[in-house]
Amino acid sequence: MIELTDVSKSYGAGGKVRALRNFSLKVAPGERLALMGPSGSGKTTVLNMICGLDQPTSGTVKVAGVALSDLSDDARTRLRREKIGMIFQTFNLLPTLTALENVALPLRLQGISRSEATRRACALLARTGLGDRATHRPDELSGGERQRVAIARALVFEPRLLLGDEPTGNLDSATGEEILCLLDDLYRERGCTVLMVTHDEIVARRCGRIVTMRDGQILKDKRSRRRITGTA
Amino acid sequence: MLGTLLFITLRQWRSHKLRVLLTTLSIALGVGVFFAIRTANAALLDSLKTTVEKLAGKATLQVTAGESGFPEQVLDTVRATPGVRLAEPVIEVIAQTGYADEGSLLVLGVDTTGDRQLRDYEFDPTQTEIADPLLYLAQPNSILLSHSFAARHGLKVGDTLPLYTADGHKEFVVRGLFQPTGIGEIFGGNIAAMDVYSAQVVFGRGRNFDRIDLTNSAGIPIEVVQQRLRAQLSPGIEVLRPEVRGEALENSVTAMRAGMTITSFVSLLVSVFIIFNSFSIAVNQRWKEIGVLRAAGVERRNILRMFLAEACLVALVGSALGIAGGFYLASGTARMMGSIAGAAYGVAASPEHAAFQVGLAVTSLLLGVAASLAGAWLPARAASRLDPVLALHNVESRQSEKVLGWGRVSAGAFVVTAGLLLIYFTSARGGLNAQFAYAGAVLLGLVLLLPKIVHLTARALRPLMDWAAGSEGALAMDAMIQSPRRSSATVGALMIGLMFAYSTAAYIQSYRQVIDRWMGQVLNADLFVAASPFMRSPSYHLSEELGRSIAALPGVKRVENIRLISVPYHGDAATLSAIEMDGFLARAADAIDGGLGSRARERLLYGEGVVASRNFAARWGMRVGDSVHLETPTGALELPIVGLLDDYRSEKGTLFVDRALFKSRWGDSAVDFVDVNLLPGADAAQVKREVRRLTANTRVFVYTNGEFKRWVSGLVDRFFMLNYMQLVIAVLVAMLGIMNTLLISVSERQRELGIVRAIGGLRSQVRKLVLLEAVAISIAGVLVGALAAVFNIAFLSHTVSGVLAGYYIPFYFPALLVVASVPVVAAGSLLAGWWPARRAARMQVIEAIGYE
Repeated sequence: MIELTDVSKSYGAGGKVRALRNFSLKVAPGERLALMGPSGSGKTTVLNMICGLDQPTSGTVKVAGVALSDLSDDARTRLRREKIGMIFQTFNLLPTLTALENVALPLRLQGISRSEATRRACALLARTGLGDRATHRPDELSGGERQRVAIARALVFEPRLLLGDEPTGNLDSATGEEILCLLDDLYRERGCTVLMVTHDEIVARRCGRIVTMRDGQILKDKRSRRRITGTA
Repeated sequence: MLGTLLFITLRQWRSHKLRVLLTTLSIALGVGVFFAIRTANAALLDSLKTTVEKLAGKATLQVTAGESGFPEQVLDTVRATPGVRLAEPVIEVIAQTGYADEGSLLVLGVDTTGDRQLRDYEFDPTQTEIADPLLYLAQPNSILLSHSFAARHGLKVGDTLPLYTADGHKEFVVRGLFQPTGIGEIFGGNIAAMDVYSAQVVFGRGRNFDRIDLTNSAGIPIEVVQQRLRAQLSPGIEVLRPEVRGEALENSVTAMRAGMTITSFVSLLVSVFIIFNSFSIAVNQRWKEIGVLRAAGVERRNILRMFLAEACLVALVGSALGIAGGFYLASGTARMMGSIAGAAYGVAASPEHAAFQVGLAVTSLLLGVAASLAGAWLPARAASRLDPVLALHNVESRQSEKVLGWGRVSAGAFVVTAGLLLIYFTSARGGLNAQFAYAGAVLLGLVLLLPKIVHLTARALRPLMDWAAGSEGALAMDAMIQSPRRSSATVGALMIGLMFAYSTAAYIQSYRQVIDRWMGQVLNADLFVAASPFMRSPSYHLSEELGRSIAALPGVKRVENIRLISVPYHGDAATLSAIEMDGFLARAADAIDGGLGSRARERLLYGEGVVASRNFAARWGMRVGDSVHLETPTGALELPIVGLLDDYRSEKGTLFVDRALFKSRWGDSAVDFVDVNLLPGADAAQVKREVRRLTANTRVFVYTNGEFKRWVSGLVDRFFMLNYMQLVIAVLVAMLGIMNTLLISVSERQRELGIVRAIGGLRSQVRKLVLLEAVAISIAGVLVGALAAVFNIAFLSHTVSGVLAGYYIPFYFPALLVVASVPVVAAGSLLAGWWPARRAARMQVIEAIGYE
């Protein structure tokens, strides 16, 4: 599903800051992987490469068999909105839209009719336990509720790949646990490939595979004992 | 501390160069237009004054009798008056040359023997054969020219100059050139001198002089001589100091200058909104920084000062640029105003070069700073009141703007209502400034209501935009709903620009309709023969002989000779229309209020009464039955008003008297217009050709009724041309505001737009989103602009028109124009939004999401 080969990424004048150094990683379809590592180890850069928001300085990134470097910005955006769901630590909801409108937005951007988008968004909000909060705006929701909305938004178009950047990082432990359980359930139901960036060992342990990074390289790549199996 | 805070602000400018540039530019434009108009205004006045003073030379007093002049015998009386040392007759004509590209030439008819003692003619010794070329002037067809005029046309002594006279085109021999100093610099150098008695003949003055310039004997005060002359001369003949005569000329262009002054504030007002907008954005951009500063111990008042100091800095730079740009534009503007003054008022002014006025520059600078501080005040206060905890918090937790409270809405509605009531119920004559203050209150009330209006408009448009443009449309509307204050500042700028555009257009349209109706009622002749291409010209006249010749043409039923002059009236002026009363009553009696009784008709026919224009009656608070006191060259004349009618020729008001009475009391038989009425079935075009044949060698303008209406329409256009130009600038400044708003919107919503891109929004969709916001702003701008225009049109057509011109223009709302302006304004907004939209589409998603 995901294939990164010899990916390097440098930032700054003269490429002084090297975020990734010859980084290679393969993730099979349906796999659930946690990417761990200290701050600055390059986790988020990997995530950004996979969703096409960032481009490698060298090396190739393939998602669903397609090399992202061969795609135009619009094609990468289309790939993202059709195949990749994203969950952020800071939720990144649009503050002016209601929960329902936030969830329906990716579908509307794809050109799906408002009625169909609303129907699908309603169903997913209900599934994430927010059926009665659909008309609320983000500032009227708790942190956990916001992240549920973000998860619903990420899954509403049934992506084959779900990327999460510290999805529980901004939540208290109880709410974080709730969100992780929800993600477990959805993973089981939908069977999409999941790649999650986290600092948290407990979160990582819920994944079948844990890749630990340091200084832009893989330090460890191991399978967890506890695994949740998806249907796909 | 302020220094440190300013240093931080300057650092901020580096990262927001475009915002600072646009804000500076908006102040520069506002101040620039203001400075250009005011400088041009001053240049026009200066030119009027200089022309009068330099023409007067060493004269300490001038004897005049309005535009009709006075008989030659007056000169003998003046010269015989004790205390008069020197008195010289003058004829003053603005003549048309035979050069296609040249404007007018001010021709001074002077007495060749004595005038040298009164005026300095600095002759070019290389361009004259004898010491005193004035002596040449006694020879007919001789003329002296300014060096600059001669140089422009390659003329030298002995060459001939083509000039239009009362008898048509004639050639004059150049006898000498005077230097471009003293008298040579009047009227932009377009000045010539000829013998006063020749001038009488060639410009159809008969045995009249236009003026006598005199000096008093040493030891006898000017006031004494003035009193003696007044005692000797008829009351209709004025004896004034040259500077007082200059003031009277200034007074004649008051309405035009007042109009220009009003519109010169428009751009400045628009700038206030843009500055408000820009500083609101700056506060938003620096939200977190303000939180940090507050957390670090900076007091509220210093945050306030920091923003106000920034406003001052931007204003100083913007105003300085504006003053420089305005000065650059001022000369052109002054020339245009001079041309309008000449065309509409018959005033000789040629402000070639606008002088830089330090006082005005300082005023403009201070106004620029005041406008900037006024615009920045609310955002700066909001910044100082920011809760540091909230400011440091995540953007998603920011509260939406709390400016939509009903308290504000009620205050706005109250101020609008109060302003309207004051305008409606107080006397307009109580003072124009008070009336403007009330109109300002209406505008202020609307400004208070703006956020609510923008909010409601955006809410109303959201479903429509969602349906028509998809999620991008809804998101665009959300931007406005979320930040009505940000959008309302731009909508406010558009409101001002469009309000003035709509109201000016409505006023002109309504004015035109009134003029059309008036022309239908009063100016209903089939052909009009005019002496000049302007409404009034003191220089060229027709003769009664021409009228008789036209009357003898086949197809002509009746001709009316009309003389139109400005006469002094109670320290001001009025227009006197001397008409052949029987003809006038035959065709225009219905236009007189309530018709005329047989007694009134008789009085008019026998020269025992006048018909006054309604604006004359309004200006002087007179009614039918009241007496009009006129000073004529032959003595005082007391005439009752027997009827009132609408007349829009003069803002000073017009009096209609019988021509026979005018000729006997003013001793003036000149004709300005010949109205020709044709027999039924006569071909107007054919008669026009015949009139042209009759006047083949003279400079006469012949119009059919339709052409005359178009000609008047053209004059109206010319009069309002500067207003149009200013409005274009005001709308341009507003467009700059849209650009500013959208740039700020993009900058503020960077994260939001980044999220849209991150979850699959294409660049084109982001671009569309920003452009849709621009369109929505323009729609809101048109809506409130139209609403404000309703108030402003009522104010202009009733109050301003009533006070300045004494007549009321019917209310007219330009609905078609408002509808037609939607796509134009929307297209302008799209243009203004292009750059911000491009910027939004090109943003780096990762940086945008990480933004804050």
